[in-house]
Amino acid sequence: MGALINGPLPRLLLARAGQAVLVAVMVGVLTFVLVRALPGDMAYRIAAGRYGFDWVSTAAAEAVRQDLGLDQPAPLALLAWLWDLLRLDLGQSLVTGQTVAEEVGHQFGHSLLLAASAAGLSLLIGPPLGALAGLRPGGVLDRGLLLVAVLMRSVPPFTVGVVLILLLSVQARLLPAAGSGSLAHTILPMLTLALCLAAVSARVSRDAVAGVTASAFYTFGRTKGLGGGLVFWRHGLRNAGVPVLTYFGVQFVGLVEGMVVIETLFAWPGIGHALVHAVVARDVPMIQGAALAMGLFVVAMNTVIDVVCALLDPRGGPS
Amino acid sequence: MTFHSLEAQSVRVRSRQTASPGGADSLLVQPVSLTLRPGHAVTLLGETGSGKSLLAQALIGTLPPTLVAEGEVLLNGVSQLDQPPAARRALWGRTVAVLPQEPWLALDPTMRAGAQVMETRWLVGGLSRRRAWQAAREALRGLDVLAADSRLPGQLSGGMAQRVAFAAAQTGDAPLLVADEPTKGLDVSRRDQVTALLDRHVQAGGALLTITHDPAVARALGGTVVVMRDGAVLEQGPAAEVLFRPAHAFTQALLAADPEGWPRRESAGAPAGQPVLTAREVAVARGGRTLFSGLSLDLAAGEVVGLSGPSGCGKSSFGDVCLGLLEPESGTVQRPAMAPYRWQKLYQDPPAAFAPKVSLRTALMDVVRRHRCDPAAISPLLRRLGLDEALLDRLPSQVSGGELQRLALLRVLLLKPVFLFADEPTSRLDLLTQQETIGLLTAAAREQGCAVLLVSHDRTLLDRVCDRVLTLPAAA
Amino acid sequence: MIRTVAGMTAQRWMGAALLLTLLGFGWGVPLVWSVDPAKQDLMLLLTPPDFDWADGVTLLGTDHLGRSLLTRLASAVRLSLGLALIGVVTAAVPGVLLGMVAGWSGGWVDRGLSLLADAVFALPGLLLVLLVLAIAPGSFIALYVGIALLLWLEFFRVVRAQVRRLRQAPAVQASLLLGLGPVLLVRRHLWPELAPVVLTLAAFGAAATVMATAALGFVSVGLRPPVAELGLMMTELLPYYEEAPWALAQPVAVMVLLGLSLTLLAGKDPR
Repeated sequence: MGALINGPLPRLLLARAGQAVLVAVMVGVLTFVLVRALPGDMAYRIAAGRYGFDWVSTAAAEAVRQDLGLDQPAPLALLAWLWDLLRLDLGQSLVTGQTVAEEVGHQFGHSLLLAASAAGLSLLIGPPLGALAGLRPGGVLDRGLLLVAVLMRSVPPFTVGVVLILLLSVQARLLPAAGSGSLAHTILPMLTLALCLAAVSARVSRDAVAGVTASAFYTFGRTKGLGGGLVFWRHGLRNAGVPVLTYFGVQFVGLVEGMVVIETLFAWPGIGHALVHAVVARDVPMIQGAALAMGLFVVAMNTVIDVVCALLDPRGGPS
Repeated sequence: MTFHSLEAQSVRVRSRQTASPGGADSLLVQPVSLTLRPGHAVTLLGETGSGKSLLAQALIGTLPPTLVAEGEVLLNGVSQLDQPPAARRALWGRTVAVLPQEPWLALDPTMRAGAQVMETRWLVGGLSRRRAWQAAREALRGLDVLAADSRLPGQLSGGMAQRVAFAAAQTGDAPLLVADEPTKGLDVSRRDQVTALLDRHVQAGGALLTITHDPAVARALGGTVVVMRDGAVLEQGPAAEVLFRPAHAFTQALLAADPEGWPRRESAGAPAGQPVLTAREVAVARGGRTLFSGLSLDLAAGEVVGLSGPSGCGKSSFGDVCLGLLEPESGTVQRPAMAPYRWQKLYQDPPAAFAPKVSLRTALMDVVRRHRCDPAAISPLLRRLGLDEALLDRLPSQVSGGELQRLALLRVLLLKPVFLFADEPTSRLDLLTQQETIGLLTAAAREQGCAVLLVSHDRTLLDRVCDRVLTLPAAA
Repeated sequence: MIRTVAGMTAQRWMGAALLLTLLGFGWGVPLVWSVDPAKQDLMLLLTPPDFDWADGVTLLGTDHLGRSLLTRLASAVRLSLGLALIGVVTAAVPGVLLGMVAGWSGGWVDRGLSLLADAVFALPGLLLVLLVLAIAPGSFIALYVGIALLLWLEFFRVVRAQVRRLRQAPAVQASLLLGLGPVLLVRRHLWPELAPVVLTLAAFGAAATVMATAALGFVSVGLRPPVAELGLMMTELLPYYEEAPWALAQPVAVMVLLGLSLTLLAGKDPR
């Protein structure tokens, strides 16, 4: 527990906080450029979003222009834009008129359900298979797993989704292909994401376990007289677990990227789907809100992983 | 179980891939016979690649799966080699304790030292958890490292890790102890501590098998000594006989290569040359911690000065300060105005000092071209250092460590250096190679009038070859 | 004497051979069959492959608008690999150079460049490309800029770390003491170590480009119809999966082969 107070964890948490700010700034700057690059009068579009299309007037547009500083020089306007962002004042959707915070909060729940179940399922598949392969490097399981992992890494997740639709939904007619609301609807998108994640985590676990079992301390554990199962339990699991968990954090980036595409493919009403819609509709406040939510989600999950690693590894977290 | 004897009868080791099982040339270890008994030490003495570790692994059943042992291994008269692997593994920790080669790497970095000592007694020795903790603490106290109990291996010094591994290797009553290079990289005082521990095991009635390259360890342990080279036993017998009246020429050379046996250097009455380095009250800090302070040194051309001290005391840092690679925390270093490339360094790990994918000839010619040296100077230097011209067409990974260190010396000598910092240049080399390399290094430097600052953890070696020796205290 | 190419495993040779085949397909097809990949023929909607080598329109069948799948696939391969090539080159050159500068010099140059890299790295890659693409939807240039902005980062981070390590290594220190100049340091020490890593990163970067392009096309925020692009083709053919599974299978298969060739060629991940 001392590691939580004195170890490298506080520095790591500080770095994560810095990363969160960088995410916000990146999203803010890019969406600001987006606003400036939009054709037509931005003020009218935003005013329409705020007050409804029937209530747009020159006065309303002028108010928006004042409010957002659209008539200010670019650097000042950027600062104002970022200031709103840092206060988490995300504005309203140009399409629905709802506040972005509300919309994002609603969609995020759906995404979280999908992400959490996919991540959980991938943990049940990937690391155990990888660990078994790593205990016998060069064995049948190891080589088979390598083949599957290379194949899965070579294609974007949506291709895996398309293949699963073709196999399970069209050929076998087992599951509905799109939509949400029932367990059956959850299975295909969840399975798609979980398989993509598991392919990578199985590989990482395999390398971690193979590395640990080849180490001097593992050999020493065996010659000390600990049997195969005991030595894995005492000296293998924790040492291999830390890099696997750390990598699991890195995978959340892939999970978020997968969400954008998989949610769209399966018409899942989550944040990734919303982002794609917002880009198509050029709904800038929604783009900003959705991108921000996904970026911060990755940072938050990595922070959780940091803390778990610090608890697991008495040396005080990932180096 | 009561241990009576472990007997090897014409034990051989070969690779499983070898096509002709009968061919004697395919053997990695030629037939060896020896016997381990309670209260008796057996020491396998030889250089890198002599097959001594493989022989020990064959005896206790830890050979990697690609190798196979043949012949007969009898434990209390029961044949071992045809036993299933599980039966042989059951002896580990209970009958045979294996002391790991590099204790720092052999301890689980994520588990506290006490738990690693305790688990042997609990899970292998069959004590209750509470009793196992007591026994572990007693063992650590007995070795004078109770302080290590709740620390992680990363927080232990090398000497503490050594003793923790010693305690962790045993349930406390394993009668046979196997130690593979237990003194590798240790300075003399720590080496003597380890041999004392091993000797204690023998005095208590245990059997001991030690693998070492160091004749001093064999001498301290006594018992039976087996000298090996290229997988074959050259001679074996009581230590008093083999180590003091060696019959084989190789054993004689090996013993002579031990710095203990080197001729003492005639007291340096040679007139001191031009001063090349004046260090005054130098202090060096690393990572905010002062390693040493108040160090002064005057070096004159052609002088060979030794630098000794415990590991981590700042020997390498002081050399880097002399070379201008590192800023001292305080104090001054003065060097006469001269081209900077005439201050040079030899590294501990010869392969690390060369670009790995560039041939040695290219590496030398780069230096020749850059400084417009005479390329004709290379051939005489090759001969002087006993090197074959054909080596130059190889990559650094394709020549031996001793040859590479001499090539590094040659590369440096091309620039006619006035000061050479040799940072443990032979600590990764075998004894015979070490003797040759140190001899050539000091002789060539004296011929060229180059001052040498020679670092070694072996004080005896420095006393034999240096004009004087500087000792740094342990870092605070 | 046969010279073996260092670091080329059987796996990597397989990837290279597969990539060459795909290059041959992409640039070879228009030389043999001069069929416009955008030409629609409403008489030939979803015609199954007839494997008639004389007819470039129906050789591999046609899509829902009666366009030749053969020439559309070839065009899509040219697009993906072309974008991958220019994306990787424009990212690798500044990435490697800045990585070398930052890794070697350290200090404020390193801190500044690393902060910039961290800022870009903070966002998931696809999100970054998506946001850049939102500025000019459907634009090839925007897609290219987004991808280059994403890819330079990997080159920078890996090269910087390697150079920092090499800078401290005895071999480089020895060469500095021997007075060897910067050109020799790069030629003898840095480049021989960096080259294989840079090549691996380039192959991974190309794979990432191909996949991101297809993913964005698939969700209709990337390139726009009537461009022949693998992700776009899959979206267009997905509604017809029951009548013409063979049509949907073709862009899927080409996607798998493209990704596989580049991943195999890349070899071991240096990250």
